[in-house]
Amino acid sequence: MAYSRVASLLAFVLLLAVPALSGMFTAYQLGLYLIFGLVGQGIALCWGRAGFLPLGQALFFGIGAYIAGAALKGADGNVFMLVPLLAVAVAVPALLAALVGLLVFNRQIGSGPYFSLITLALTMLGFQLANSADTITGGFNGMTGIPGLPGIDSFGNLYFVIVGVLAVVSLGLYWLLKTPFGVLLSATAQNEERLQFFGFNTSALKAAAFGISAGLAGLAGALYAPHQGIVTPQSVGFLLSAEFVIWTAVGGRASIAGPVIGAVVIGFLASELRDAFRYWEAVIGLIFIVTVLKFPQGLVGLAGALPGWFSDAARRPSRRRDVAAPPHRSDDAPSLVFDSVGVRIGPVRILDGLSLRIDKPGIHAIIGPNGAGKTSAFNAMTGRLPLTAGNIAWHGHSLAGLKPYQVARRDISRKFQVPSVFADLTVDENLDIALWANRIGLAALFSMRPHAWRSDLFEALAERFVFLKDGGTTAGALSLGQRQMLDFSMTYLTEARLVLLDEPCAGLSTGETAQMIEAIAAINASIGSTAIIIEHDMRVVERLSDHVFVMHQGRLLAEGNIAAVRADPEVQAVYSGGTK
Amino acid sequence: MDLILTNGMNLVYAVATLALIALGLAVVFGLLGVMNMAHGEFVMLGAFSVYVTQEAGLPILAAVPLALGVCGIVGYCVEWSIVRHLYSRPFDTLLATWGLSILMRKIVEVSFGRDYKSIDQVLPGTVDLFGIAYPSYRLVLLAVIAGFFGLLFIWYRRSNTGARIKAMVSNPPLAAAVGIDTARLARMTFVFGVCTAGLAGVALAPLVRVEPYMGIDYLLSSFFILVVGGLGSLEGLLIGSTVIGGTDAVISTLFAKTSGYMAVLLISILFLWLRPDGLFSRR
Repeated sequence: MAYSRVASLLAFVLLLAVPALSGMFTAYQLGLYLIFGLVGQGIALCWGRAGFLPLGQALFFGIGAYIAGAALKGADGNVFMLVPLLAVAVAVPALLAALVGLLVFNRQIGSGPYFSLITLALTMLGFQLANSADTITGGFNGMTGIPGLPGIDSFGNLYFVIVGVLAVVSLGLYWLLKTPFGVLLSATAQNEERLQFFGFNTSALKAAAFGISAGLAGLAGALYAPHQGIVTPQSVGFLLSAEFVIWTAVGGRASIAGPVIGAVVIGFLASELRDAFRYWEAVIGLIFIVTVLKFPQGLVGLAGALPGWFSDAARRPSRRRDVAAPPHRSDDAPSLVFDSVGVRIGPVRILDGLSLRIDKPGIHAIIGPNGAGKTSAFNAMTGRLPLTAGNIAWHGHSLAGLKPYQVARRDISRKFQVPSVFADLTVDENLDIALWANRIGLAALFSMRPHAWRSDLFEALAERFVFLKDGGTTAGALSLGQRQMLDFSMTYLTEARLVLLDEPCAGLSTGETAQMIEAIAAINASIGSTAIIIEHDMRVVERLSDHVFVMHQGRLLAEGNIAAVRADPEVQAVYSGGTK
Repeated sequence: MDLILTNGMNLVYAVATLALIALGLAVVFGLLGVMNMAHGEFVMLGAFSVYVTQEAGLPILAAVPLALGVCGIVGYCVEWSIVRHLYSRPFDTLLATWGLSILMRKIVEVSFGRDYKSIDQVLPGTVDLFGIAYPSYRLVLLAVIAGFFGLLFIWYRRSNTGARIKAMVSNPPLAAAVGIDTARLARMTFVFGVCTAGLAGVALAPLVRVEPYMGIDYLLSSFFILVVGGLGSLEGLLIGSTVIGGTDAVISTLFAKTSGYMAVLLISILFLWLRPDGLFSRR
């Protein structure tokens, strides 16, 4: 850590010394590459952190440049007019991107190609608009004669302004990635669906990241306009967009310095080699392919072989937690009603008139043979399967048609059968996310305090599962049993009123199973939640629950305590292989 | 009446050529799940095959085997060296083929120059069609495309290979378990896809601008067609082409070219937003 800070400070001093060391012309060239590097930093935020790739970033760069160009021409040296106009050059691209992000991400989970191609199409559209709107943009010849910033020589001290902006942006990004918002972005890239089940609107998170990246691109554009004195439609075009992505990839998409290094290295190499070597740009394409396939962390990743360079990969010890997490729940009795719920996919009736009712706290169990629709009942409840008939009501409000994060926000927490934790995050960060669920507000997302949150349940869990105290470990390095227990702990840390557990003991050894059963019983009782547990293992059911639902072929077959259910002839028929 | 017929023919022509262009991506993306960002560059290779045969003084038909050969070899090498390692990693495929598209553009640019290539008209002159004069090449092209799609439709439904491909698409491990060489089949499907892209380039070369950067437009329009029509069926491909081609043609005629482009973009975003599986999806 300290090492990387020293390196960053050295790089900053070196950048400040460039004009004195290598002359103004080199500094002018370098200034342009640093501007491009700013755009790359925004791409790295989306791509390296949140896991989606914007391919049309030049659109926002160009919009920023055009607005700044028009502002510089119109303000005519009047600083009081210029400053708000330059703010507009950053705000317009940011808001536009956030809007596009919301529209697209809202329906598209994951980082498929759809978003990337939409951004590519937008930049193509922007290019055409810039070309045809002669009166505003100057058309094909561009907007020319843009004056410099008042009192600043574009070929001289503008360079220091650029370096200053770069330093501020880099520090800002460094801070942003440490905040809960930054942690949640990384979690989105790793397991977006799981994050939704903690009540986080991941599409809004991604749209916000995209908005920030576009704001950075706009800021870079606003520096570009006075730096070059001209803005042409090429500044909006897809070729520049492609180059932004290449620089980011080659420099290193997961780091803050990487994209800048990429832009500077490739920029200077290009200016040296372009005339001497005709195939130079084809070589760049090749380098990009090799980077994507073999060195996803880019140049910074190669340098990262040295300890802790520019990245903060060094493991931290478990941190201090001394701020009580805000309480968030009420303690009235649960009320869950399945009213003739039907789910069908094509000709298959997955749930076929399932009706059941839960109005007491405690642990309820759902059993039934494979294919009875147990997990599907959970899926229908949590927004993963659309209902085709009936209704599911939780405290009188229908859950039908809600998205997973909206269900989670109604105080319903769910653990999947396969342990799903955020593998590249530390145990501490995983637990943080669960503690933040339904508790963190918008302002707290951008503050460091939530990292210190604790709760009584948190400490009880850490006493029970000792490995949780070793919070600096990466979650992916845990054993299967430990990941089950981490996932279980995260599910309960939300202190949701309704907890859905899908085979929590799957894949555990006998000893671990006993530990898990004990934990479920104790912890559920300690926070007074209502739990529904899907289980095949009758010993588990017997130990935990006195209220058992038996499902068969998408319907409720029987209900009651375990003895009554065992005595039921219909249940016996199903379990002994008879047909109904 | 004549005006309606002319515009109608233009619309049919636009839809048919769009469907031809999008076919390659429909095969590669719809069946294999590979978002081939270099799709447009294979169209570009086909168009440059026409330019090369023309410069060599050969007839345009000679461009067909040339384009098939070039696209086939490049496609085979790309599948072998890049794509086959990435079948389960769609995002990495997107990135790698994006790099490939840059590489292909740059190589063609360095070899042939950045400028627009002029391609001679093929079958110049017009045919009298219900009272309007219609360019003969377009008419021939329409007939060829219709025939090609008809044959493809029947072949995909009836042939063993078609059945194997469907088996591979719906359950690759099971298909491999019943003795289908899925690795080879996937490679051949990929090569087939990029070869049809090359053929589309050959067919369109006399009618469009030909330059190293022409591919990006075709990638985007193909992608929009798949977004609207949905993946995995020929019917969806035709419907998508009709919606996209129709919107573009109508809005461009009524307003300006950029308005048509914007309308297409808006429709695609709306589809992604409201009907992410497209109008006509089997999945």
